[in-house]
Amino acid sequence: MNSALFVGVATSSIASGTSLLYATIGEIVGERAGVVNLGLEGIMLIGAATGFAATALTGDAYLGLAAAAVAGTAVNLVFAYLVVGRNANQLATGLALMFFGLGLSALIGRPFIGTLIAGLPKLHLFGHTIMGNPILDYDVVVYLAVPTAVLVWWLLFRTRWGLNLRAVGESPVAAVAAGVHPGRIQYQALCLAGLLGGIAGAHLSLAVTLTWAEGMTAGRGFIAIALVIFAKWNPLWAIAGALLFGGAESLQLELQAAGADVSPFVMNMVPYLLTLAVLIAWGWRRQAAAPAALGRNFVGVE
Amino acid sequence: MTRKELLLTAMLAALVALIAAASPLLAQQKPPLTVGAIFVGSVNDYGYNRSMKDGLDEMQRGIPGLKLLEAENVPETAESERVMEGMIQQGAKLIFATSFGHQQFAFNLAKTHPDVYFEHAGGWMMSHNFGNFFGATQAAWYPMGVAAGKMTKSNTLGFVVGVPIGYALGNVNAFEMGARSVNPKAVTRVVVTGGWSDKAKEAAAAGALIDQGADVVTMHVDSPATIIQTAENRGVSSIGFQSLTAAQLAPKHWITGLGFTWGPFMTGIAKSVIAGTFKPAFVREGLGQMMAIAPFGPGVPADVRALVNASADKVEKGFNPFTGPVTDNAGVVRIAAGQSWGGDKMGNFDWYVEGVIGKAK
Repeated sequence: MNSALFVGVATSSIASGTSLLYATIGEIVGERAGVVNLGLEGIMLIGAATGFAATALTGDAYLGLAAAAVAGTAVNLVFAYLVVGRNANQLATGLALMFFGLGLSALIGRPFIGTLIAGLPKLHLFGHTIMGNPILDYDVVVYLAVPTAVLVWWLLFRTRWGLNLRAVGESPVAAVAAGVHPGRIQYQALCLAGLLGGIAGAHLSLAVTLTWAEGMTAGRGFIAIALVIFAKWNPLWAIAGALLFGGAESLQLELQAAGADVSPFVMNMVPYLLTLAVLIAWGWRRQAAAPAALGRNFVGVE
Repeated sequence: MTRKELLLTAMLAALVALIAAASPLLAQQKPPLTVGAIFVGSVNDYGYNRSMKDGLDEMQRGIPGLKLLEAENVPETAESERVMEGMIQQGAKLIFATSFGHQQFAFNLAKTHPDVYFEHAGGWMMSHNFGNFFGATQAAWYPMGVAAGKMTKSNTLGFVVGVPIGYALGNVNAFEMGARSVNPKAVTRVVVTGGWSDKAKEAAAAGALIDQGADVVTMHVDSPATIIQTAENRGVSSIGFQSLTAAQLAPKHWITGLGFTWGPFMTGIAKSVIAGTFKPAFVREGLGQMMAIAPFGPGVPADVRALVNASADKVEKGFNPFTGPVTDNAGVVRIAAGQSWGGDKMGNFDWYVEGVIGKAK
């Protein structure tokens, strides 16, 4: 255990935890409104592919980021129409969305595999290095991650819109009685969720790996869905969750590089074991924390 | 005959005449051979799949009229069996299963299609219509180690391994031995990502190695692209693997690399299938045949180039770095004095040589 290890883990977990955080926050917004979106993996992939394609075509990574946000929103709107407008089963539709996202992103990204892009530029705001490791030297998406989490927390818990949204997620009937239109709120929530999910995917392809490959999110969408439960549907706890999981992955790779005397197979399991352990340990009392009407379609008052 | 019978007979005669007249034309358009190939990833990966595609293209150029069916992103699951079956239905008589994990599925098909020939890359299974080929990568990594050992200033080298199979561990061992031969203080740190292709993990793994002091990074994964780019962005040198095209990813800090030249072998196999003389064989060819050294980067001085080329020559002429005594990184003698591990033993590695920092299993 040397200090280079800690610095490396800290830097790397922030970089890899960022996309998880955006995805988790987006999913929190959707689930607080009562809609569980299992297709988050598909949204992230579409964001990654669209962002990469747009950056490769225009040469501007910020345009790519915007394109990814728009694409994520658009696809999530399709999901919203199916679930809210047509009352389709949320779980099944979400899974269908995941497969759709897998395929569509492969189609979008196919002509751009192997293209070299400059990626999101690192903003040299602080300019310090610790042991040759450029600490706190990230792109704009990373810097905005925590502010976004705080903003969404404020939106959900300190504004009327957020109150209405949470009411819809807890009891749509009560919300209707208060004069709120549940369907409209859910559409708005899923718009925001899609936007954040698209940005989450784009960060992977435009900043972390600077490349596109089919299925490159490798299950991060589902990790984000689990992190929502870990975070008790609160964006501020999601920060801790994303850092924890991102940190676990960075930790096992850094430990390997430092020469830990553990089998590499076991090391690669660490992030998932950690997630399982945390969910089991914290899961007992979490049942009450879920939005009461999560997963149920609201078909109207009698 | 009735009028209807007369009409039918005339139509039949016309049809027969038409086919007879057209048959030389049809025969010309029939390709001499239809070849099917499946890739585990995309061919635009600057890596393994690219090298396979380049080899197949060379084969196609060498046999005019040859029809090539390709499928990218075929996973190493039963899905691959379905894809290869589809190619056989389209007339493929020779199938190249290019990824290690495609082996069992291709072998299953070889049993049910005794008239179709299969060549698998990287495994060991054989039968009358199933052959196996790969580059003898292990010894070829020795000159790469020589290059790294001379170019490193921190005496720490980094190696990212996808899946820790014996052949991959052998590559790491030869690399470290080559480095030690010119720089006794060189150590190699190893990080295993668990899969042949996980871009985000590869980026993080390369970062972790650089954090631990590595100033030369190399890899055994399907595509060297992400790792080379990560290294280049952090100002660290890289040595490529799989495809000779990877140098363009690191214009400043590229040292050299290993690439595969599958073309001549693939052309030979295709010609043997056309001639009906296919003989299943376990083929492992090294530098000078299936493998080549990539051009050197701009920062490599002339004396290092000479050393690397001399080392590569030695390997081409049969030098085997795995000649005893060889000790592993726990102090146990793994190859006794007077013995050596030949090509057939390259899959048996489950240990790292002295100087490698990492756990093999």
